[in-house]
Formats: sequence, C-alpha cells, structure tokens
Amino acid sequence: MEGFALLYSGFVNSLTTVNLVAGFTGALVGTLVGVLPGLGPTATMALILPFTLPYGPTTGLIMLTGVWYGAMYGGSTTSVLVNIPGEAASVVTCLDGYQMCRKGRAGAALALVAAGSFAAGTIGILGLQFFAPVLGNAALSFGPPEFLGFMILAFVLLSNLSAEAPLKGTLMIALGLFLSTIGINPMDSYPRFTFGSETLMLGIDFLPIAVGLFGVSEILSIAVEKYVKPAVSKIRLSELYPDRDELRRSIAPMLRGSILGFFVGLLPGPSTVISTFVAYALEKRISRTPERFGRGAVEGVVAPESANNSAVMGSMIPLLTLGIPFAAPSAILLAGLRMNNVEPGPMLFVTNPDVFWTFIAAMYLGNLMLLVLNLPLVGVFARIAVIRPQILLPIISVISLVGVYSVRNSLFDVWVMIAAGVVGYFLRQWKYPIAPFIIGVVLGPTTENSLRQTLLMFKGDVSLVVDRPLAITLLALAAAFLAYRFMAAFFWKKYAPKVEEGKSL
Amino acid sequence: MKIETFFAFFTLVLGAAISVLSWGYGFGSLRRPGPGLYPFFIGVAIAVFSAFILMSESRSRTRKPLLDKEGARTLVLMTLTFSLWIVAMPLLGYVVVTLLATYAFCKIMKLEGWWKPLAVSAGTALFIYALFDYWLYVDLPRGLLG
Repeated sequence: MEGFALLYSGFVNSLTTVNLVAGFTGALVGTLVGVLPGLGPTATMALILPFTLPYGPTTGLIMLTGVWYGAMYGGSTTSVLVNIPGEAASVVTCLDGYQMCRKGRAGAALALVAAGSFAAGTIGILGLQFFAPVLGNAALSFGPPEFLGFMILAFVLLSNLSAEAPLKGTLMIALGLFLSTIGINPMDSYPRFTFGSETLMLGIDFLPIAVGLFGVSEILSIAVEKYVKPAVSKIRLSELYPDRDELRRSIAPMLRGSILGFFVGLLPGPSTVISTFVAYALEKRISRTPERFGRGAVEGVVAPESANNSAVMGSMIPLLTLGIPFAAPSAILLAGLRMNNVEPGPMLFVTNPDVFWTFIAAMYLGNLMLLVLNLPLVGVFARIAVIRPQILLPIISVISLVGVYSVRNSLFDVWVMIAAGVVGYFLRQWKYPIAPFIIGVVLGPTTENSLRQTLLMFKGDVSLVVDRPLAITLLALAAAFLAYRFMAAFFWKKYAPKVEEGKSL
Repeated sequence: MKIETFFAFFTLVLGAAISVLSWGYGFGSLRRPGPGLYPFFIGVAIAVFSAFILMSESRSRTRKPLLDKEGARTLVLMTLTFSLWIVAMPLLGYVVVTLLATYAFCKIMKLEGWWKPLAVSAGTALFIYALFDYWLYVDLPRGLLG
C-alpha cells in the first residue's frame, strides 16, 4: 500500500506546470531528434542538460528521460517513410517498415509502432516501478567489494558489447577512468595530473566532455558529409488505421518485444539498439512464415519498436538502484542528478523517494503525451525530417557553445568541449566507441573509492573476496565472459577458413 | 605511420607517462593504498591495450583517406568558428558573437544566398537572448551591448 501512496504523491508532484512542461518539451524534442537523422538522443540530452539545472533534479530527470524516450518513438518515422533510421535503435525497423510503406501501409505501420511503443513504455514503467525499490532495498546491504564487482562486470560487458573491436572499447573505458582522476582526489586531498594549474585542481567537468564528444563531434561529422535530400512519402490521417489482420498479428510481438526489451535494458552497453535486433531475430525464428520478414511483415516492425521503448525503462534500474549507468544516455542522467546533488543508488529510495516516484508518475504521463503527439502529427514530423542540416546545425552549434559556458561561466569548459568534439570526430572515424569513455569518466570516482575501500577492508588480502558470495560471483561472471570471448576469437580464427572451404565444397 | 596508428602510439606513451607520474604520487601498498595506486594501474592498462591495438593496426593494410579536401576545409573552418566564438565572446558579448557565429556556420555549410543565413542567425541570436535573459535568468557577458 505504501507504494501506491508514494505513487499518488508522485502524480501530485508531476502534475505541476513546470514538470508537465518539462515532460512535454522533453518528449517533443526527443521525437524531433528521433525523426532527424544525425544527432542522437545522447548528444541531445548532453546539450539540454545545462538548461535543466535551474529546475532541480526531478524536473531535469523528467525532461532528459523524455528526450531519450521520445527519440525511440520518433526514430521509427523516418525508418518507415524514408528508409533512413532517425537513430541507431530504429535501424531494424527499416527492414520491414519501409517495405510496408512501399505497399501503401506506412500509416498502419506507424500507428502500430506508436501503439506498441505506448504499451511497451507502460510495461517498462510498471517493471521499473516494482523492481527498482526491491533491488534498491537489496542493494542497501552491498559493500565496496560488491560495488567493485558490479563495476568490473559492467566494464567487461560494456567494452565487448559496444564496440566492433572490444580492445578499443576497453581502451576507451581506461581513458575515461584516467580522465576522472585529474584534479584533487577527495579521499586524501592529493592533487593529481594538475601540473600546478588551478583550473585543473577542480578536475575536468563532465558536461563539456559529453557535449563535445557526443554533440560537437556529431555536428562536425554531419557538416563534413555530403547531404542528399530524402524523398518522403505523404501520410493522411485516414491512412493510420491498421486492418484486422495487421492488428491481430501485432499483439503478441508487441508483448514479447516489451518484456524482452525490458530485460535486455538491464545489460550494459547500447541496450536499446541490441534489444531491437534480439526482438526481430526472435520474431523471425518463432514465426510460421519467416519468409515474410524483410518484405513488410508487421511483426518485424512492432516487436523491435516495442523492445527499444521498454529497454529505456530497463536501463533505468541499474542507474537508480546501484548508481551505475550501463549506457551513455544513463551516464548523462547520472551526471544531471549529481549536478543537482542527488546521488542515485540504494539510498535514493531512503533519502529522495520523491525524486523516484515523481519520475515514475511523470513517465506514465509522458508516455501518454508521446502517443497523443505522435499519431496525429506523424505527417508533420515526416516533413521535419527533410529540414536541411545547413539550417539546423548552426543553431545547435551555438546552443552548445552558450549552454556549456552558462553552467560555470567558464571559457576553459568551452575549450574542453571543442577539443573533445574534434578528438571525438576522429575517434568516430577510427571506430573507437565514445559511450565506454563517457561511462568510464562518470564511474571513475566510484570505482576508485570502491577499490580503495575494498583494499582497506581486506587489509590488502584480496583473497578474502571469496568470503563475499555476490562479489565473487560478479567477478567470476566477468572472468567467464572474458574467457568465452578469448576462446571464441581463438577458435573462430583457427576453424573459420575450414568452415568456409567446407561450404564452398 | 597512419594517423590512427599514431593515436594508438600516443595512448601507449600516455599510459606509460600516467604510470610514471602516479608512482611519484605515492603508490602505498595493498594494505594502505596511496593516491597513486589506482591511476598507476589505469596507466598500465592504457599502455597494454594500446600496445595490442598498435600491433593489430600495424598488421592491417587498409588505407583510405580520412577526409577529402572539401571535408578538411569544412572541419578546419568549423573548428575555427567555434574557437573564435570563445575569443570574441567576452569582448563583443554573447548576443553579437552568437549572431556572427551562426552566420559563419551557415556559410561554411553552404546555405545559399545572404538572407537565409541572416534570418537563421538573427532568429537564433534572438532565441538565445530570450532563453537566457528572460527564461533561465543567466547573466552572460554582454560586451558592446553592456
């Protein structure tokens, strides 16, 4: 009963003008970002973060999650109408979505995607509402060794899941962890890597790094590319109704995608993207007519789009219960909460339960707003997709400059942003993933604290970790995953040519 | 040496430098860790991973130019405009500099004519002024408009 009372007070808090406006703005901006190819949700969240700071942690969290969530809704529009994914989590939707569009069923596809996203969002929020407080309570008994175990497992999975070359992902995590050590170490007030500079004593702020690596580097990438205007199919409101067969075929994939997406969201890495591929593969595998996939199967559109929406909510669990972001957008959310002096983790449910429950209530409302926003305005969003980057990018560029400067009135921060942007541009070209770096920066201080506290607890005897069942299980899982990757790489190299030869015979 | 190989080489040297500097901060012991212990191991990890990447990069034979002449020009001009915003902002104020920078960005990205870039830049400067002065109440340098 206490949960319902807290949820009720969450609804009361979220129905304030400022929170409703924040939710609507986040959802609208997110949908636009999803519709427009190029700038992704992480970059937009980093760009918007400075503007949320005057309004407190809850409003900021509502607005930023609205962007993330809205981008999942909006991303499908261009996938279906133009065959260009608005963001990475909508790549799979192109396969069958565009084929449905070519058959004149674009309106039905978009309506079912919006309904599926709404259902998945609601299932995801329900999951978050029930699992997060339980896990948060359980996490209260975790000590530094358990947190260190979680951190190491997250780094191992993250470096392997977010990069084509896991070594590059691992290097990026290590570079992020290093960056977080610059400045005065709060544990023993010792300045590290400051070289006598007073500016560096405070450390390098997270925001300019995030805006530079995600925002400016994307702006530079788009500016350098040659722009080709896409052709967009027109949609009328009357075409939005799916027929009875499409509706019947969509219900089960919608539910399967929602549940699957929620659990994939708990994994470290680009879970929203991974969830779409897994959901698509699952639908194709269990289908009685797998040959329809790739030719306009409605299941291939609805399942992945439901999965990416519920994955967003799944990703919130490790962030809110452990304070560990498993994906780049959650790292931005963590930074935003910390800038408002709110530390997510097991204590969040004790010290700031209002933040959690207002957020949950606002997500229910935001989900409804997105449904109302997306269905009737799909034609408008489709037209927005063809706005040229020559108009949008200059505006985004100056907003990022003024936004980063305004947080601390620091020109140094703006220099850091530009440097990070240029470096980020080249890292993208060389296939170094950015997300592990950002997560390394955010988790660096917690990792160091956990490591040093663990060593102090064990008086230097690391073998004592075997007395901590959860910590040793997490470390064993990390070791097992690394061993699997190593063996797979070894055997693949050794036997792959023979398999190919066998095939050719 | 390819420039991406150079990056792996740079991070290798960086990792080694981090470890050396960290040792100087006081390594302590496993029983009583000092401020240098954690960054020391981070430095070692950076150096080791970079060495592996360097080895695999040196084996790869694919070479393709990163940017054509046009792309390189756009990249340099964009970076220059970003940098000039920082240099000029305290002197001219954020509204004027934002207007000029937006115009410059539009022209670098080849937005044709003069009235479209002017309309975009004037609209953006006005929006930023309204956002910071009337909505967020953030006091930013006004320079000439002081």
